[in-house]
Amino acid sequence: MIEKEDPVISEEEAAQYDRQIRLWGLDAQKRLRGSRVLLAGVGGLGAELAKNLILAGIKGLTLLDHEQVSEESCRAQFLVPVSAQGQNRAQASLERAQNLNPMVEVHADPDRVEDKPDDFFLQFDVVCLTGCSRDLMVRVDQLCSQHNIKVFCGDVYGYYGYMFCNLGQEHHYVE
Amino acid sequence: MVQLVGSLLKELADSLSSCKVLVVGAGGIGCELLKNLVLTGFKNIDVIDLDTIDVSNLNRQFLFQKKHVGKSKAQVAKESALQFCPSANITAYHDSIMNPDYNVEFFRQFMLVMNALDNRAARNHVNRMCLAADIPLVESGTAGYLGQVTVIKKGMTECYECQPKPAQKTFPGCTIRNTPSEPIHCIVWAKYLFNQLFGEEDADQEVSPDTADPEAAWNPEETAARATASEKDGDIRRVSTKEWARSTGYDPIKLFNKLFKDDIMYLLTMDKLWKKRKAPTPLDWQQLENSGHPQGESPTTSGLKDQQVLDVWGYCQLFQHSVESLRSQLQEKGEGAELVWDKDDPPAMDFVTAAANLRMNIFSMNMKSRFDVKSMAGNIIPAIATTNAVIAGLIVLEGLKILSGELESCRTIFLNKCPNLRKKLLVPCILDKPSLNCYVCASKPEVTVKVNVQKTTVLSLQDKILKERFGMVAPDVQIEDGKGTILISSEEGETEANNNKFLSDFGIRNGSRLQADDFLQDYTLLVNVLHTEELERDVEFEVVGEAPDKAPPPQSNQEEVNSITNGNKDSAQPSTSSKAAAADDDIMIVDSDEEGGAPSSSAAVTTSTKRKHPDPETSETSTKRPRTDQSAAAAATDNDDDDIIALD
Repeated sequence: MIEKEDPVISEEEAAQYDRQIRLWGLDAQKRLRGSRVLLAGVGGLGAELAKNLILAGIKGLTLLDHEQVSEESCRAQFLVPVSAQGQNRAQASLERAQNLNPMVEVHADPDRVEDKPDDFFLQFDVVCLTGCSRDLMVRVDQLCSQHNIKVFCGDVYGYYGYMFCNLGQEHHYVE
Repeated sequence: MVQLVGSLLKELADSLSSCKVLVVGAGGIGCELLKNLVLTGFKNIDVIDLDTIDVSNLNRQFLFQKKHVGKSKAQVAKESALQFCPSANITAYHDSIMNPDYNVEFFRQFMLVMNALDNRAARNHVNRMCLAADIPLVESGTAGYLGQVTVIKKGMTECYECQPKPAQKTFPGCTIRNTPSEPIHCIVWAKYLFNQLFGEEDADQEVSPDTADPEAAWNPEETAARATASEKDGDIRRVSTKEWARSTGYDPIKLFNKLFKDDIMYLLTMDKLWKKRKAPTPLDWQQLENSGHPQGESPTTSGLKDQQVLDVWGYCQLFQHSVESLRSQLQEKGEGAELVWDKDDPPAMDFVTAAANLRMNIFSMNMKSRFDVKSMAGNIIPAIATTNAVIAGLIVLEGLKILSGELESCRTIFLNKCPNLRKKLLVPCILDKPSLNCYVCASKPEVTVKVNVQKTTVLSLQDKILKERFGMVAPDVQIEDGKGTILISSEEGETEANNNKFLSDFGIRNGSRLQADDFLQDYTLLVNVLHTEELERDVEFEVVGEAPDKAPPPQSNQEEVNSITNGNKDSAQPSTSSKAAAADDDIMIVDSDEEGGAPSSSAAVTTSTKRKHPDPETSETSTKRPRTDQSAAAAATDNDDDDIIALD
């Protein structure tokens, strides 16, 4: 369950998040504010995800990617500077990602997602897997369901793409 | 062997890097769009926006950071976009697209124009410019979780103005001045009050009791008598509100007692109004000050400060403090100064919050928090990054189809909040053909307008009818009287002398025809005049062939309804709190932020009609419906147009 750590919304947050608080309400904003999200894969899809999550004002986002920045990376996504070729993709994306919203804790992790132990995933409220193998997705999905962690998977292939989410056996929401 | 560059055919990739495109607007959709264009490989992009960056933009306009607040959106957007593609050639204009510099020649430079706007006036204008220049236009809009994209191509599709869009909701003067029954009436009143006291006084924004209210009269003769009486001079009441306020030195307590006690007591004398309504209860400053009121903050600190609802005395104090602040602002600006209401200016917002709430209290309505008042007064449309991201993606996809010469595959696409019966969140619809009697894109556009030629001035014709209603920016009008008498010239000063004269003074009568031109828009409209003496109260003209405005059901805060709002559309004011070149002058469900001085008692209320399809604009639900392919009925198994759905 996502705890509302700090019930008070600061003036700065109220001003910045005004337009979205008016859409989904203050309670939702507080829940976002208390959420930690893992994002595996920082390619084109991952970058969009990172942007949208960071702008929404979550508590923390971990960018996990073992890949190196290639020439293509800079054309695929907008977080990696053109000068960062050869660097780790997650680490190269960190600065611009953080600048999107200084109020969010953004971390970069250069490891392989496959090499992460189970308890690594358990520190998050939501896990997003982009461009991952089926085996990994199955493993993470099963692990996270047991701990009531929401899982979102997706990938993009040219003009096509898919998204899959597992919100658990019992997912409560408000419309 | 087909050559690809990434996912694109080589020919397309090549044309992307050589063609020039225009993005109108660098806000929510604009930022996402610019990013997409640059990453897709577009090399020559012009972006224009008259606005500056505000902190409330930062939750979605990701090309901007806190340090950029106050700077030009177009300029900063360009700089940020260049970061991820230094070789792109981006030209930024911190300007209004309605500036005559951006003429047909200007538009002809581009292979594609993409709108990322938030107000109707600009959309109308760009629509006309693209028709004039014959350039394809991708139009779009978002509001909350909802969004829409469509393509406009002269001669092939409907233009933006082919389908009449319902005008923004307005309220009758007597409701605002005498018998408010909803918070929105009080909020509109408070905004009028702001203008009367601190801003540009407007005869259509009276706040004092309306003695000529037909409902107040016990018999019809009385109404006429009251009307004449209120028009006659010689009464202290004839002093303008501003003059009177000035004479008191903008004393908050004197103002308070006049507006919330004396004027209310006057209303009470109009007893017929209160036969079937709950009568208002006047407030007295002294009494309120004396009565015990609990000090200290309410314990609900877990909510936003702005979401608290104060008690009456709290709003009295807010009224006093805001009047004092605004008074100082006026003094600082000097002689003859006028303030423009801005929801992001704290004393201005405080003033409206206080005045509206005091009035709500007087008329037995539950008071509203500053947060809620701001939404209504500022026509704020809730917004998030994701919706804009999706729509911007769709814009580029439609743009690619256009550049590939595949216009027939272009669609109108609606982004819904929930998947439909076929589990689709994105719903494409076939584009409609141009409307044959469109008053913009038909070959010889014509309209018929009912007015009282003896009571309508030339200025009204220009501002309310040609500019506001028919979207012209700089009209030239001649009378088709065989002599080509010039009534209005777009050249400044030339026909100023005509402004306050009545149409009848020029021999205009029932059946007269006027030719109105806007040379910038390359647009000629023939106006047939019908004289009438029977227009509804507060209605200055009626366009024949249109359904009259109906009062929509009260709109709940966020929600739904398939109405897209994006910006305060009708008022032709751009959405932000910019004080930029908004000289010209622009809601819904909530709509975008605001207008400087809305010409009418407009409120961004959406018409919540079920099942209608959202309009790229805002609140208005158009009559546009998704249509099936001709063969749709039989084509249930046709995979090609699988996504075209017939909805009723």
